[in-house]
Amino acid sequence: MELIHLAFYLGLIIFLVIVFAKAIKIATAPVHLRWELYPVAHEKGKAHYGGSYLEEFEWWTKPLQKNLLGEVWTMFQEIVFLKGVWEHNRSLWFGSAPFHYALYLYVVFTILTLLSLIFGLTPTIEGFSNHSIIKFLNVLLWISSIFGIIGAIVLFLKRIFDSNLKLYSNASHYFNILLIGALYVTSFIWLLSSENTIQEIFGFYLGVFSFSQIPSLPIVGYIHFYLLSFFLFYLPFTHMTHFFMKYFTYHKVRWDDEPNLPGSKFRKKLMEQLNFPVQWSAPHIGADGTKTWLIIASSPLPTKEKKNG
Amino acid sequence: MAEKRKIKITDISNPNLQPLVEVAPTNTIELPPPYDKLEDLPGFKKLSEATRQSVDDSLDGVVAIGVPKPKTPEEEQELVEKFISGLIKLFSKENNWTFLQPLVLTMEHCAKCQTCSEECPIFEASGYEEIYRPTYRAEILRRLYFKYVKPGSPLLKKFQVGDIDLNWTLISRLVELAYRCTICRRCAQACPIGIDNGLITHELRKLFSQEMGIAAKEIHDKGTVQHLLVGSSTGMTPEVVKDNVSFIDEDLSERLGIKVESKWDIEGADYLVLHNAGEFLSWPENPAAFAILLDAAGIKWTYSSELLGYDGVNYGVWYDDFQFSRIAMRHFEIAKKLGVKGIIMGECGHESKSMAIIAERIFGNEIKTINTMSLIEHIVFSGKIKFDPERNNFPVTLHDPCNIVRLMGIVQPQRRVLRFLAPKFREMEPHGVENYCCGGGSGFAVMTPYNFLDWRIHISGRKKFKQILDAFKDEPPGPEVPKYVCAPCSNCKGQIRDILDYYGAKEKSGIYYGGLVELVVNAMADLKEPFIDFSMM
Ligand code: SF4
Ligand code: SF4
Repeated sequence: MELIHLAFYLGLIIFLVIVFAKAIKIATAPVHLRWELYPVAHEKGKAHYGGSYLEEFEWWTKPLQKNLLGEVWTMFQEIVFLKGVWEHNRSLWFGSAPFHYALYLYVVFTILTLLSLIFGLTPTIEGFSNHSIIKFLNVLLWISSIFGIIGAIVLFLKRIFDSNLKLYSNASHYFNILLIGALYVTSFIWLLSSENTIQEIFGFYLGVFSFSQIPSLPIVGYIHFYLLSFFLFYLPFTHMTHFFMKYFTYHKVRWDDEPNLPGSKFRKKLMEQLNFPVQWSAPHIGADGTKTWLIIASSPLPTKEKKNG
Repeated sequence: MAEKRKIKITDISNPNLQPLVEVAPTNTIELPPPYDKLEDLPGFKKLSEATRQSVDDSLDGVVAIGVPKPKTPEEEQELVEKFISGLIKLFSKENNWTFLQPLVLTMEHCAKCQTCSEECPIFEASGYEEIYRPTYRAEILRRLYFKYVKPGSPLLKKFQVGDIDLNWTLISRLVELAYRCTICRRCAQACPIGIDNGLITHELRKLFSQEMGIAAKEIHDKGTVQHLLVGSSTGMTPEVVKDNVSFIDEDLSERLGIKVESKWDIEGADYLVLHNAGEFLSWPENPAAFAILLDAAGIKWTYSSELLGYDGVNYGVWYDDFQFSRIAMRHFEIAKKLGVKGIIMGECGHESKSMAIIAERIFGNEIKTINTMSLIEHIVFSGKIKFDPERNNFPVTLHDPCNIVRLMGIVQPQRRVLRFLAPKFREMEPHGVENYCCGGGSGFAVMTPYNFLDWRIHISGRKKFKQILDAFKDEPPGPEVPKYVCAPCSNCKGQIRDILDYYGAKEKSGIYYGGLVELVVNAMADLKEPFIDFSMM
């Protein structure tokens, strides 16, 4: 076992555990009040103009129709085309798009690498660079690295020189871009300097996932995987977790138009929440740390407030 | 205009900057003539020295809340501690389950890409004043959240989001800053990640109200408190409102030559009609038109004379979850007691959203809520009433109230009605869910303290005024042709009234405003006299 093994395991485990824990925490957060924002992508026949079932007179007498494909299509456009940034912040798109595409391609590259290892589709030793899967992965990594470097440079410069971004950029923003940029720079140099980059990457993954010796890598390869390990370790603690939290911001807030009909799944949870004790201190609330939400909402205003009012 | 001072996020707690920024009317959003000359308009009202001594104007020289200045360092310290305790409660599930999930998502996942900024009409109208950027207020709360609430190493948190000093200067400015956003949520619509900076305004207001007892007087003391105690945020008691309504009925019956009859506490009625009570005082034709239309459609309806039963507003939705719940609960109880099937909500955006969406999640939908837009569409196309659209043969444009449109998705019913009944209907640009707020959202329309009215005309309302003028640009510019802004929301009407009055747009350009139901009744073929009388508007 080498140090790189440990670094990678640590990064991967922290990544999986923290991402999972964060997802569970937010998924089990209390049911919030409705706060949807139109267009809501699943409104059947209405999403294209931002309409809702509330447009129907006595909507509760009609079946509620959800078009889940609408959600998928909207998310697809958001993820693949970065539609929001394209429409509302075009100049940033030219940095953000390559930056994100590079990440997508890198993830695809890694998944394909692992799959071909699992299914034994490719030779892992040197000298098979004409193998079609290796060629394909090679191209993927090239594009990912180039996009990543371009994206990182554009975003870094924008954060330095665009006054809109500069004021809101903290040390971590620059660090994140540099870290991700460095990942691509190392993969780029690795591709440039070695004929067998993909096979070496195979060797690395084979080694770490079979808990065995990793065939020796060029220095840049080690740097790349140390950086990747650190990135995996670090990512769950940053705002970049938006890559999965976006599911919640869209599906659980922006598009949450679920009516509170008898038998609805959140009724029970809501009843529990209404029985939470309240501690707010302003006199008009009349809380004492034991009175519940429901009691406070059903009580008249406290006497002191009456005098003021 | 003087070069703008560049500010930093941390400047919010710098007491030496007095004020933090100097806000003045700007021409970033250019208006067409005769409204194009800024120099012809009075600027913001100067606050007297006595006012400046007693209340805090150090954010932007404008005062919406008028937070009294603490007199001693001890008092100041106490307020800072109170703020911290409120901050912690804002992020606790017991105290803030109502919005905890979206709040935490917004705090932790903003990429600071500023994709949302350009969408804010306030930021734009101010000449891109940094403090009005949608992310500015959120960034301050974020830094405070990381510093005082979120567990973790202080060093790491500083690295992640930066630092901020918490002192009374920051708090008093943040109070005011929480009232420089209409919660229109246009910024949130543009955010690719789903972050909601409008929500931050809402949550900050809650922290100040629920923990520190600080809120806009018009919304709290004269608003929800008066509503709960007297029966209406207008101050009208049941006796007064009944008197007023019977006077309106008589007056209109005489003018129109038909019987206008409001009904009170009718047993066996199908629906309780709940208007924003401001309608009875400021735009009595609106509830009267409702009465005519509902009767003509054969709907069995009633008003309630119980405390709160005749005022559908719920100002709590803008600043305080508890005041909100108290009012919503009373409304549903009254409807239940009357034994009606449901509540017909008047042309009031925040009332509609409060009842049909927000309160519905708490109280369920045992009592149904009927929104006006779909009801009017239903009646108009039911075939029960004969219409003559030619009676509305004047230019009409439609304002989309944020609450009804962007936040409830009720977009088309009002348009189908207007396309049918208003031959000269044209859209504003942009419209529908991409509309711009009137500038009076989140309570601003009822707020006029100190020099705040100037601010909401020049800054929050400017974009809407531009849209209105643009919608009528192909019409004769003078007052000879009356032009109608259909604004189916009481608060929006209040704000549009103030804008049009300020610029003299009725006299100069013949621009009038009103609701949707008035246009519908105006087109009723059986009415001998036109319902809309521009000479009386
Ligand atoms: S709120 Fe959204 S659009 Fe605005 S800066 Fe944050 S991530 Fe970007
Ligand atoms: S909610 Fe509206 S007013 Fe407030 S910051 Fe966003 S766009 Fe501006």
